[in-house]
Amino acid sequence: MLSSPAANSQAKAPPTAGRPAAPTRTTVQYAKGFTIQYLPGYKVVTIMGGTGKAAPATRYALVPRGKAHPAGFQASQVIETPIRSLVGLASLHVALVDFLNADDVLVGLGSLQYVSAVPVRQRIAQGKVFAVGDGRELNNELLIAKNLDLVMATGWPGEGLSKYQTIAAAGIPVMLNSEWVETTPLGRAEWVKVMAALLDKEALVNQKFDQIAREYHRLAALAAKDPKRPRVILNMPFKDVWYVPEAGNYMTTFLRDAGATYPWAGQKATGSLPLTVEAVAPVALTADYWLQTGTLSTRAAVAAQDARFKEFKPYKTGQLYNYNRRTNAQGSNDYWESGAVRPDLVLGDLIQILHPALLPGRQLYYYQKLRE
Amino acid sequence: MSSAAASGAGRTVVWLVALAVAVALCLVLDIALGSVRIPVGAVVKILLGQQSEPAAWVFIVDKIRLPKALTAVLVGSGLAVSGVQMQTLFRNPLASPSVLGISAGAGLGVAVLLLAGGSAASAYVIRQLGLGGSWALVGAATAGAALVMALVLGLSARVRDNVVMLIVGMMVASISVSIVSLWQYFSAPEQIQEYLLWTFGSLGGVVGAQLVVLAAVVAVGLLLAFASAKPLNALLLGENYARSLGLAVGRSRTLVIASTSLLAGSITAFCGPIGFIGLAVPHLVRGLLGTSNHRILLPAAALAGAALMLLCDCLTQLPGSQAALPVSVVTSLLGAPVVLWVVLRKRGVGRTL
Repeated sequence: MLSSPAANSQAKAPPTAGRPAAPTRTTVQYAKGFTIQYLPGYKVVTIMGGTGKAAPATRYALVPRGKAHPAGFQASQVIETPIRSLVGLASLHVALVDFLNADDVLVGLGSLQYVSAVPVRQRIAQGKVFAVGDGRELNNELLIAKNLDLVMATGWPGEGLSKYQTIAAAGIPVMLNSEWVETTPLGRAEWVKVMAALLDKEALVNQKFDQIAREYHRLAALAAKDPKRPRVILNMPFKDVWYVPEAGNYMTTFLRDAGATYPWAGQKATGSLPLTVEAVAPVALTADYWLQTGTLSTRAAVAAQDARFKEFKPYKTGQLYNYNRRTNAQGSNDYWESGAVRPDLVLGDLIQILHPALLPGRQLYYYQKLRE
Repeated sequence: MSSAAASGAGRTVVWLVALAVAVALCLVLDIALGSVRIPVGAVVKILLGQQSEPAAWVFIVDKIRLPKALTAVLVGSGLAVSGVQMQTLFRNPLASPSVLGISAGAGLGVAVLLLAGGSAASAYVIRQLGLGGSWALVGAATAGAALVMALVLGLSARVRDNVVMLIVGMMVASISVSIVSLWQYFSAPEQIQEYLLWTFGSLGGVVGAQLVVLAAVVAVGLLLAFASAKPLNALLLGENYARSLGLAVGRSRTLVIASTSLLAGSITAFCGPIGFIGLAVPHLVRGLLGTSNHRILLPAAALAGAALMLLCDCLTQLPGSQAALPVSVVTSLLGAPVVLWVVLRKRGVGRTL
């Protein structure tokens, strides 16, 4: 170990240090759903399974490959870093590895269909990524046979590791993400730091994430200067129900930072409010913009969904936008993938839509205006 | 029944008038209530076509509440009438419009559209072609319901035994439900979300031309049902007795099944599955009117069904909230105690079946 290239290149490193110079660390600034601690010889990543004090937390020890495992962790909660093979069960996990240019560690996905990242699509075409089945039933035998370093899943509220017992019992670590607890776009994007800790890519993540955070704050400050606060409605109702984001939804934070007037910004619920069409209609009739029209990408389709929508002001003025610009031929929408780790681009789109004069010459990235 | 015939006629008229008044009251109540508070005076003004401020109130009353209330009337009366027909045809107090598997067939049609065989790519293609929209949903549900209806009608011509018919209907429903479950299993969560919202049932969103189509189909279904009153009375006494009365049992059964298929199929297509009205209202009216004469039962069920459906729609509105409960949850919550109350209060009701 003393003669390792890393130790040699570090002329100033004390030769008595039994390991290479301490790796760059990363600190968590915005996210509430996880923490990263740097202890001598290993890192501890703690994932919160929800919000509040009673929320269950799961701790993982990230140990350099080949080093002794610390005491107090179950075998399935010790991960050797940098990870070399990963199965990701959500679109977000594709975005996390792609953000850190580590697409080649991704060997398995829940479904091969919903992928936008081009390097991962190429690996799929080359047969280097296998499908393990999404959601309720995983192909446990395949997962165990592949000798994986880590399975990353989304841990929904109240759902523990029990679903992944079989894999964990086979010694494969399973990490549950809970990025849904985040109430801010930057907090959501900061989950890339968990992936960076797993890949020992702290230096890269610090550089890239800081750049995104700086750009996000720059854009938010720009929007704050414009005294205009356009009124915005979101989403498509299904018959009677109109789900709109509530106060703690990261989308509400996006709208605030983009300088929008959003009537339900102060109402608390769990993620979204199930309103009646009637409750939204008074706002919709006079709103300036209608964003996120679900699966619809033409104005005609909006009218076909419900003829009453033709009376809403955004329909009349054509100010209808959807975030499906980057949908590929398979029907996978990159907004749900890279959009989660590029809040600067999403905010840029929103400001460009709501305050066009502030960002002249900019091209929309995730959003597009609905065609006729 | 014959002993009470003289006073019974008067009582029946009183009940029918009372039910009609209840429908009118519930209709007004349903239009007056909503998540946005609008004074009753303003509601009446708007309904009478006068101008009112603010403009949003006019939109809410004319474009949201009125179509929803009218849909509730159509759904309530259609489901209740077909419930009476099914309970008599199958001589089973647990029969409802869904026993023939028509509603499940409509669900299957909707699943084909929303879950598109479990393939998101094909769903995406369908939407890119502009085949989405509310008419597509109605069309898919109608196709599914019509398919099952054709199957059931075809079988009913061959199968003489009503119990076998009942089993056939339930098995067809069971197969449809399993196919849908299988698709859900292989579908993306956001597609399942839309399908789940559909299964909650909803009276909203049926506006303009859709409301006209629904009203026309329900009207035809109700006319066929009222035409079946006499054969239904004869069937109450048993098929053999009905046959000895000179009734063409096969033809009247076809009439009843066609009527229920139209009613249950169209209502499920436009509003999704709405449970319990078709099961509870027949018991309610039999208990209230104390008769099993279908010439009275069918119109009474139509009125009571409409009133109960309107009442359920009022109750979906949580006080002081901008949210609403799914209507089929309310019909079940309200319907089950109604059935219990009627059955326990008048235990004799089972004997009239």
